[in-house]
Amino acid sequence: MENEEQNVILNSISEGVFTVDLDWRITSFNRAAEIITGIPYQKAIGKHCKEILRADVCENSCTLRQTMKTGNSIMNKVVHIIDANGKKKAVAISTALLKDSRGSVIGGVETFRDISAIEQLRKEIEGKYSCEDIISQSHKMQNLFAVLPNVAESNITVLIEGESGTGKELFARAIHNMSFRKDKPFVAVNCGALPDSLLESELFGYKSGAFTDAKKDKPGRFALAEGGTIFLDEIGDISLSVQVKLLRVLQEKTYEPVGGVSSVESNVRVITATNKSLEKLIQDGKFRDDLYYRINVMKLELPPLRDRKEDIPLLVDYFISKFNQRHNRNICCVTTEVTATLLAYDFPGNVRELENIIEHCFVLCEGEIIEVKHLPSSVCQALKTEHSYKNEPATIKQMEILLIEQALRRNEYNKSATAKQLGINKSTLFRKIKAFNIKSS
Amino acid sequence: MKIAISIYNGNVSNVFDFAPRLMVFEFEGGKEIDRFAILLDRQFLPQRVGELAKHGIDVLICGAISRRLAGMVVASGVGLLPYVTGRVDDVLRAYLVGQLVQPQFRMSGCWSGARKGFGYRRRGCRW
Repeated sequence: MENEEQNVILNSISEGVFTVDLDWRITSFNRAAEIITGIPYQKAIGKHCKEILRADVCENSCTLRQTMKTGNSIMNKVVHIIDANGKKKAVAISTALLKDSRGSVIGGVETFRDISAIEQLRKEIEGKYSCEDIISQSHKMQNLFAVLPNVAESNITVLIEGESGTGKELFARAIHNMSFRKDKPFVAVNCGALPDSLLESELFGYKSGAFTDAKKDKPGRFALAEGGTIFLDEIGDISLSVQVKLLRVLQEKTYEPVGGVSSVESNVRVITATNKSLEKLIQDGKFRDDLYYRINVMKLELPPLRDRKEDIPLLVDYFISKFNQRHNRNICCVTTEVTATLLAYDFPGNVRELENIIEHCFVLCEGEIIEVKHLPSSVCQALKTEHSYKNEPATIKQMEILLIEQALRRNEYNKSATAKQLGINKSTLFRKIKAFNIKSS
Repeated sequence: MKIAISIYNGNVSNVFDFAPRLMVFEFEGGKEIDRFAILLDRQFLPQRVGELAKHGIDVLICGAISRRLAGMVVASGVGLLPYVTGRVDDVLRAYLVGQLVQPQFRMSGCWSGARKGFGYRRRGCRW
């Protein structure tokens, strides 16, 4: 088959294909490879393949190298690459030897396809989140990330405190997926969603005959999580009677199903979460202090989104990418006015609310750029209420003033920290403070 | 001044997100006074940024980098010079004399503006 015909065929398929010579230099690079990597053919040819593919396996466990060494093809190995746009993608690669007409090895061939959308869906369905999925550049979150691996590797009980929508379950899943229990179940229970009468049987299961309609034994969530992790969300909402039973599980590693006569041993790691102050509940007599000390071996406090606003642009990019894949859209970004509006908003619902806002914008935005008019009216209304300008609609300048004032207050009027958080130069901040006559101390 | 270069087998590592090791070179008065390695194996993105901050790195020279990690590095106050390729010693020498712009140190295919670097001017570093 002529080269021209081969090129036409290779450029018509959706899988990326490239070939290398014995020095690992790229000798061919099809159209799909250009699209997936973002690197044009002219820039790829002649370059070392690892410089173009940029995969996590390139340097220490190159799949093509294994094939060249052993002679065996490898099929559908999942790796991660960074494309030319700085985006991390999951790809499935397959490798084979390239031989000439005499059967001598002259190089290798690698094919790959972008499976990022599938991986994202799988992650959402299976809950296989890791710390890589927690989006943050904030210093407060950095402190949490620093201790997470050690927390995960230990077997200690963890209490995660944070407002609703701050990612408590995401953190719990990340801890589980970084621990030695990662191949065992992760079972989440929203203790606040179940009535007290059901919570005990839901957690510990029941024996047949324990109550009307209990026709057969039913394992509880602790049994389902055996060997793995149980995540008890809204732990502050459980009744005192269930608290006693939970305390026993934590102390003695045993529990009794409802209606059971013998104890069941439990090998489950417990992670709890709350958006309430457990200390206050103890003072009010609604939470046992002995249980509190048992679950509070390691406490992780997640900051609300309004305390880490520098993460908003990163989160917006992440959600745009996520919803582009889900809705098969091509929205590229938001306008600077939208960014300013979001930075000025306090997000009582935290990250979950931001995600909902972006998804709302996806419905209304018909183009490729999200504008202020696509934002929910509640966001713009909240800003108008907070900072009324004699009932006139907020202008960009007014939003800028509001943004700077809020950032100064948050950073206790420290100009360096304020400028850093706003992502502007310190001299720019000084200039705007002077120009807008903003109170700066 | 502390300059960190992500390395693999004596070369600038391909991708900082996956790099196994950082080599740190400390300079004072234009002379190298110390060098040491930081292992990054198995560290996820925020931890990598944490290592840079912990060791007081002024500039990170690396290969390809994801936008997300680049944003985190710059937000932590570290100057970033990405999409660099070549032998570590050659790259370091070129950086110190402001010659890192030469084509042999440039990696193909990067996002707009990445090659110019981030935050390095504030710290008086040279590219």
